[in-house]
Formats: sequence, structure tokens, C-alpha cells
Amino acid sequence: MGTKLLVVIVLFGMGLALLPMENSIRAERLRLKYGGARVTFQLREAIGQNLAIALLAGLRGVVADFLWIQSHGFWEKREWLRQYRDMEVVVTLQPQSILFWDVGSWHMAWNIGYAALTDPHNRTRAEGIKREREWHEKAREFLARGIENVPNHYDLYFYMGWLYYEKLSQDCDVPPCQAALCRAAEYFRKAASFPDAPQYVARMYPRSLEKCGDLVAAYREWKRLWFQDHTKVEQLWSVIEREIKDLENRLNIPNDQRVFPVKPS
Amino acid sequence: MTETAVVAPAMSRERVGFSLNRVGIIAMNTLTEAVRQKVFNFFLIIGLVFIGSASFFAQFTFGEQMKFIKDTCLGVISVISTLIAIVGTAQLLPNEVENRTIYTILAKPVRRFEFLLGKFLGSLFLLDASILAMCLLFGAVLFIKEQGMIRELHQAYGVNLPAAEATDLNQQIQQVTKAALDVDLVKAVVAETMKATLVAAITLLISTFSTSLVFNVIVPFMIFVAGMLRGAAAEVWAGHKLLMALLAVVPDFGLFSIADEINLGNVVPWAHIAEIVVYGLVRTFIIVVAAHLIFSRREI
Repeated sequence: MGTKLLVVIVLFGMGLALLPMENSIRAERLRLKYGGARVTFQLREAIGQNLAIALLAGLRGVVADFLWIQSHGFWEKREWLRQYRDMEVVVTLQPQSILFWDVGSWHMAWNIGYAALTDPHNRTRAEGIKREREWHEKAREFLARGIENVPNHYDLYFYMGWLYYEKLSQDCDVPPCQAALCRAAEYFRKAASFPDAPQYVARMYPRSLEKCGDLVAAYREWKRLWFQDHTKVEQLWSVIEREIKDLENRLNIPNDQRVFPVKPS
Repeated sequence: MTETAVVAPAMSRERVGFSLNRVGIIAMNTLTEAVRQKVFNFFLIIGLVFIGSASFFAQFTFGEQMKFIKDTCLGVISVISTLIAIVGTAQLLPNEVENRTIYTILAKPVRRFEFLLGKFLGSLFLLDASILAMCLLFGAVLFIKEQGMIRELHQAYGVNLPAAEATDLNQQIQQVTKAALDVDLVKAVVAETMKATLVAAITLLISTFSTSLVFNVIVPFMIFVAGMLRGAAAEVWAGHKLLMALLAVVPDFGLFSIADEINLGNVVPWAHIAEIVVYGLVRTFIIVVAAHLIFSRREI
């Protein structure tokens, strides 16, 4: 009896003594934004009992991957709403995954949107367009949540810019919609401000500024890119040169102020 | 017979001091016996088969494939190491009692603590060897996948590329290599190893007072599940001091779950890993001490 009591005291006593350490690790995990949504009854209903057990066993990533593969299957079977539901659950499980937000929004805006547009069940062409725009909006809202969850990487800003540039810029009565293109430019600017952003991200900012109608700002940005150190920065300099020359002509920049003065013929 | 067995260690305790050498011999014997067990080989083979087949995610993007492989492999390592920790440790003491080999060992100048520690270390060697084997295969799978992806990229881009496309190709190859050769995966393996060590210690504690193998397997597993839910319970019961105090006895296994974060590219500082390892070691130490308290006074 004495031994059992002693063991219980040791286990409880040391357990209590370790509580501050546990709380400190938990606080650190919270600070670093580890983990996803808690396992609730709603989540259990959404993913099924077996996956809920796997989730409780700490296999969050595996469960999310399984659901992602399942959603891919729904895409192949053209079951868009089921695919959408799975994608929502996946990002709930792993809100820190750039991949899930990115590919999920791409499915909505490009694949599901197009399928809704060309659905033979649409009574009119207008209905198809309306449904496509609804999916574009879902993709936008999805990516916005992604950016809230992963604000410290360039990726989702870039994909949001791309969504505005490619899809939302078509969703007005007389495309291209300038406002959407200007929003695209804002997101590309934000994405390009990250030091690890690839070279094409930096080029998309002035390109979208140009489409947005702000040729002066676009010219200024192309010049800024051009005057970087060519030996240190990896860029497609020939593309930048071409764009600068084009804008210098369109803006009628005086020859003495041009980066690439025109040689007198 | 029983009387002799009980008295013998008491006498030997008086005569001999603690010997790491004896602990080492018992540990190595335990490892040899454990390796011969079919159940261990079964789990290990299952784990290796799962890890080996993890590379068959073909129709997804490069990023998805790498993520799926890492998630699957680390998930398998987590599950199989936990199972090996439980099953491998649960039968250590009951087998010795059932086969009556414990009497001959403890009749010699071997302390009960040495015997217990040797058994536990042997179980840990087995666990670490299994994790190492799975990690080596995991590394091989990642390497083969990386090489395959790079080959696919080269085929897709072709030869004699213009500068722009060559730059794109290089960037993509760099991304694939970066995803495959992620040194941070070591952190996930360290955390999983610590978790399995703690599970083994709990199983050892249970097996010091129970002779039923089924009981020795099921109870640690239930404690493990409870430990995985501790974080959620701590949030729900935050205001209840008594419940929180009761919870303190169960280790929070959720704290060891960092594999997902590493796969998602989140920053996992070494300081955080060190904190987890210290927490796991302290917990393990307490549990082994508790196991010793029970085993040293147990009538065999």
C-alpha cells in the first residue's frame, strides 16, 4: 500500500511540477501558429469516424492528404460541391499549408468556374456566366482566408494577384475591369516585396500596373528593376529592356531622358 | 522457490554496487531477444512497406507529391514506433516471469534496478534501430523521388534551352531539391523518437505490476490516446484547477507533434525541439523511477 501511494505521489507531484514547462511549450506552439482546428463534433461529422481517430492519433497531415486525394477524385468525377467541401475541410485541418490554399483556389476559379460556365444544364449563357463568377468569388474569398493564415510568404499574395489579373478582371460588363487589374497590381507589389520571391513575381507588378492604366508607375517600376545590379540579380533583362522601350515610346519620353535613347536615323 | 527469489536480490543489493556493465549486458540480451520476435518484425516490415510505397503519388504536382510522401512516411514512423514501443516493452517483464528466467537472473548478483534499466534500454535500442531503419528507407525514397522529378523536369524542358527557360528550369530543380533534402525532417524524427521513448517508459511502468500481456498493451495505448487529447482537454478545462491537476499525471503527447509543421515549411527552432526533448526525458525519468519503486518491492 505504501509503495503504491508513493508511486502515485511521485507521478502526480512531478506531473504538477512539469505543468509550467508544458504550458510554456504550448504557448510557444500557439505563438508559432502550430496545429490546425481543434477536433470538434462538426469536424468529426465532416471527415468521418476513421479519419477522426487518425486525427486524434496525431496524423493530421496524413488525414489532410487523404482528403486532398479524395477531393482530387471528386474533381475527376466532376462532383464540384463535394470537392469544394473536402477542400474546405483540408484547409481547416492544415491552415498553414500554402499548397492547399493555392491549388484549392485554382480549382475553384479555373476548373470549377469553367465547368459551371459550360454546364449543359445552364438555361442561358448568362446563367453560366453568373455561376462562373460565383466560383471566382469563392476562390477570392478562399485565398483571402489563406493570406490571413499564411501572411509571411509571397506565394498567396502572388496567387491572389494572378486571380485578379486573369479571372476577376473578366468579371465585369466590359472587360477588362480596371479596378480588378489595379487590385492585382497591389497584390503583385506585396508579393514582390518578399526577398525570396522569384523573378517573375517582380515583373508581374509593373505589367499589371500597365494593364491597370498607370503607365507612369509601370515605367518607373520597370526602370527600378532595370537599374538593379545585373551581376547580382537574376532577371530576364531582355524582357525588361523591351518593356521599357515600349513604354518610352508610348509615354513619349524625351530622348535625353530615356533609358534606351533612340538613335537618330 | 518464491521465498528464495525474493530474498536473493535483497542479499545481492547488500553485496554488489550498481554496474553499467551488467545493465549493458541485459540491454543487449533484451535487444537480441526482441529482434527475434515475430511481432516486432511484422511491425517493422509493415512500416517499411508503407514507407517504400509512399512514392506512388504520381498524378499530383511536385509540391503535392513531396508533401504526401513526407506526411505518409513521418506518419508511418510515428505509428509504427509507438506500436513497437508498446508491444516491444509490454512483454519484457511478463515473458521473464512466465519463462521463469527472471529467477535465475535475480538470483545472481544483479540488482533489480539494473535488471529493469537493462530491459528498458534494450527496448529503447530496439526502438531506435527500428526508427533508424525506417528513416534510412525514408531518405532513400525522398532521394529516388527527387532524382525522378529532376529527370522529368529535364525531359519536359528539353535540351539547348534559351536563357529564360534555363533559369526557370534551374529554379524548379532548386525547389525540388530543397523540398527533398529538408534537414528539418531530422527535428521531426527526434520528436517522434522522444515520444516513442516516453510511451515505452509508460508501458514499462504498467508491466511492473501487471502480468497480463493484453493489459500491458491496451492500457499504455489508452494513456497514449489520452495524452494526445490532453492539449484539447487543457483548453476546455482551463478554469478547473482540480481537473487540471488530475490531467497532470498524463504526459501531453500532442507537444511532440511537430512533423506537420515541418512539412508545411513552418519555422521549428532547435530551442523548441530541445524543450520538447527535455520535457520527454524528465517525464521518462520520473516514470522509470516509479517503475523501479514498484518493481523493487514486487513479490515475484
